Amino acid sequence: MKNTQLEILVHYQDIDLMLREAEEVEKTLGFPIEGHEKLQGAKKELEKHISPKYLHTYQRLRTRYKRPIVPVQNDTCLGCFSKLPTYFKVRAREDQEMYTCENCGRILYWMN
Amino acid sequence: MDTSSFISLFREERYVSELKGTRKNQILDELLGLLKQNHVVNHPDLLLETLKKRETLGSTGLGKNVAIPHCRTLTVSELIVIVGHSNKGVDWQAMDKKPVTLIFLIIAPPQEKQNIYLPVLGKICEIVRENKIRKMLIRATDFRDFINIIGAAA
Ligand SMILES: [Zn+2]
Repeated sequence: MKNTQLEILVHYQDIDLMLREAEEVEKTLGFPIEGHEKLQGAKKELEKHISPKYLHTYQRLRTRYKRPIVPVQNDTCLGCFSKLPTYFKVRAREDQEMYTCENCGRILYWMN
Repeated sequence: MDTSSFISLFREERYVSELKGTRKNQILDELLGLLKQNHVVNHPDLLLETLKKRETLGSTGLGKNVAIPHCRTLTVSELIVIVGHSNKGVDWQAMDKKPVTLIFLIIAPPQEKQNIYLPVLGKICEIVRENKIRKMLIRATDFRDFINIIGAAA
């Protein structure tokens, strides 16, 4: 994967999920959660490096889905399990554009 | 999640009996090195960055010489558990300030079919909270020894 914008966005989503799960679950398991604001700050900092197009798409999807970026496996969107055109993968690799699922609209991420 | 599938998450190739690093970030890097070799991670640098960010949220050092660094990340496609021992002990900024000698690293994709990430995290927390078992796990010298104790505790 060479799409740097998508890489940063993937990291952004990982942190997004991390913040939520830490508060909801990890506290009860006994992990001290005390750096919430620090991590929110890091998330804000990351936003500066994401192009408006990527960030807006992410935030728009975030209101609908817990995870706006989903992996693709066997040409299938793992968000809605619909089959994607085979050429998507090839194109995404070549032009490094953002590709979204035609069915659910989620941002697609190919694992190698 | 049944006992046998929990035990099967621990694998010999994901077990380090003596870690070389002396600092938290070195240890995380060293443990992830096991995955790099087998190309299990799509983007190891990104994963390391996510694990470091998790530590800013609060140390994953649970106290009593055990740390359980963990995160969800889109860079892996299956749940992974890696175990490492550090006989020297690592400063993990744990609540009790004790050096960490046993590390469980848990990494999972954002969504998994069986949804076992949090149960696995909870189960490991529960196991290491048992004084006797924790001490035995810390003293384990090889994988067979280690997995036998896990098997008895799970
Ligand atoms: Zn979809």
